[in-house]
Amino acid sequence: MDLLNHLYTGFSIALTFNNIIYCLVGVLFGQIIGVLPGIGAPTAIALLLPLTFKANPTSALIMFAGIYYGVAYGGTITSVLINVPGESSTVMTCLDGYQMALKGRAGPALSIAVIGSFIAGTISVIILMAFAPALAKLALRFGPAEYFALAFMAFGLLTVFGGEQPIKTIISTMLGLLIATIGLDVVSGMPRFAFGVPQLFGGFDFIIIICGMFGIAEVFCSIEEPEEGELLKSKLHLRDLFPTWQDWIASRWAILRGGVIGFIVGIIPAGGITTASFLAYLAEKRASKHPERFGQGAIEGVAAPEAANNAASISGFAPLLALGIPGSPTTAVMLAGFMMWGIRPGPMLFQKNPDLVWGLISSMYIGNFLLLLINIFLIPAFVALLRLPYTIIMGFIVIFASVGAYSVNNNLFDVWMMLGFAVLGYLMRKLNYPIVPLVLALVLGNLAENSLRQALTISGGSFFIFFTRPISVFFIVIGILAYFSPVIRWAFRGLRRVRVDTTSSKT
Amino acid sequence: MRLADLIGGMVVLFFGLAVVFFSSQMEYYSEFGPGPGFLPLWVGVVLIGCAIFVIINVLRKHDKIGTFFKPRTKLGLHVLVIIFITFLLLPLLGFSIGLALFVGITMRIMGKHRWLSCSLTAVVTAICIHLIFISWLTIPLPQGLIGW
Repeated sequence: MDLLNHLYTGFSIALTFNNIIYCLVGVLFGQIIGVLPGIGAPTAIALLLPLTFKANPTSALIMFAGIYYGVAYGGTITSVLINVPGESSTVMTCLDGYQMALKGRAGPALSIAVIGSFIAGTISVIILMAFAPALAKLALRFGPAEYFALAFMAFGLLTVFGGEQPIKTIISTMLGLLIATIGLDVVSGMPRFAFGVPQLFGGFDFIIIICGMFGIAEVFCSIEEPEEGELLKSKLHLRDLFPTWQDWIASRWAILRGGVIGFIVGIIPAGGITTASFLAYLAEKRASKHPERFGQGAIEGVAAPEAANNAASISGFAPLLALGIPGSPTTAVMLAGFMMWGIRPGPMLFQKNPDLVWGLISSMYIGNFLLLLINIFLIPAFVALLRLPYTIIMGFIVIFASVGAYSVNNNLFDVWMMLGFAVLGYLMRKLNYPIVPLVLALVLGNLAENSLRQALTISGGSFFIFFTRPISVFFIVIGILAYFSPVIRWAFRGLRRVRVDTTSSKT
Repeated sequence: MRLADLIGGMVVLFFGLAVVFFSSQMEYYSEFGPGPGFLPLWVGVVLIGCAIFVIINVLRKHDKIGTFFKPRTKLGLHVLVIIFITFLLLPLLGFSIGLALFVGITMRIMGKHRWLSCSLTAVVTAICIHLIFISWLTIPLPQGLIGW
């Protein structure tokens, strides 16, 4: 009954004319961002965030959420038509989507991706409505020890999902933590790493770092390694877009499996939509009776990762709204937005700002429906966007990043700092240091440090406080396992090799 | 790429050492619990440990893994220099004109578009920046000597 009440509250907010327009702008913008190379959801939201300071927070968050899940839809178009993922979350779609397009079946590939995303997205919102309040209720029991343990686990999971080189992921996480400590210490009031520069006393604003590391750094990377693919010449007509009955039969379980995997991976801190689509593809291949068809144009290979990335982008809101912990760079930027409007996400958000929470969640039904319509009727228009020269896109990114960085404190110092972070981000990418751990550690840094200090103050300096509370122990154990996952993986690989050697020597 | 990786590892190592040095000058533990130097010190220690691991890893492996400088790296550096000069000129030119010039110049250098299209795009960009950010969103962007 509660759920229906929440749904009614949510829809009464999300269905106002103003919020529908914000939602439409968000999904349309997200779709465009997804199609354009060199700009992703975190960058787009970070660039727009300073410009929405005067907007109603609920409306602005509805728009940002629309951008987030809209991007996953848009990235599919480039994956299928030019074999270049518009977004990292649509990398897996390239494998079978492009093969389908080469066989003249681009239409069904695109439509099954859209319909799969819509179904999985809608199911994900329904589960989110039931799951997020339950998670918030559980989080009410959290004290400083649990919050630190949660952050510790999130940092550990970054090692699992962060990249190919776990040591570089840890370095990146540490850099994020370190940047978070710059400025006045909240407990002692002592400046840390400010070196007498007054502008650094308040620390670095998150927007400046995001604009630099995701916005401008991405420009340098895109210039250096342009993602160029050949647009397939065949024209897409509306009648070619619909899948056949066989396509439906082949995709139905893939969509459901992908949706479930996506939802679960999305709620794991640091899981992210890219991992979700990757795991869904692998699971589908394993579940298939004909795994050899994957990579040759199997429609399930499009349906599963697309359903997963959309479901994950929606379930990623659960830890953000209920715990105040972002699981991905995009939700991290949205957390910065919450803070900008003076709203603190977390368990109390459901009680203090129910209009915002339920309005935002309900808007996802509307956004997914709008995206379904947009993608059925406007795909040719988005394909035309692929012909936009990169120099124009680059100009837009530099303009929005510069204005965004300036408008944080209305000074040019921040614009220079943004450029500094852009160079750092570019060098890190070149040297294979992942950026995402830095960003998440930066956002969670203050929470982690303050919780650690509070917990140790309560316990009189004893670290046992983290091992005497069940929730905290659970998070700490998962975190430790995650940190040591490369060693565990290495040991397992060694064991398997020994086993293979012994069996081959026996034969 | 090995050399770049090695230099990267060394930079992280020196950075970690600097962090340990500066955080050791802060209070590690106060009467209320961990002090301001507590977390940074441990972060510095972990950075040093990881950097040593990276350096050893680079020195142990001899296989070539990609190159740091790619054929278009120079073009990227050109854009960085243009952005740098644009930011230097922003107080004089203002945001509208400064960033519009950036768009026009990069279109010419990178995209090899015709002068006419570059100039027209620059003019339209300047007008759009002024109308959207300064007039509509009322962001107090520097307007330079020209005052626009």
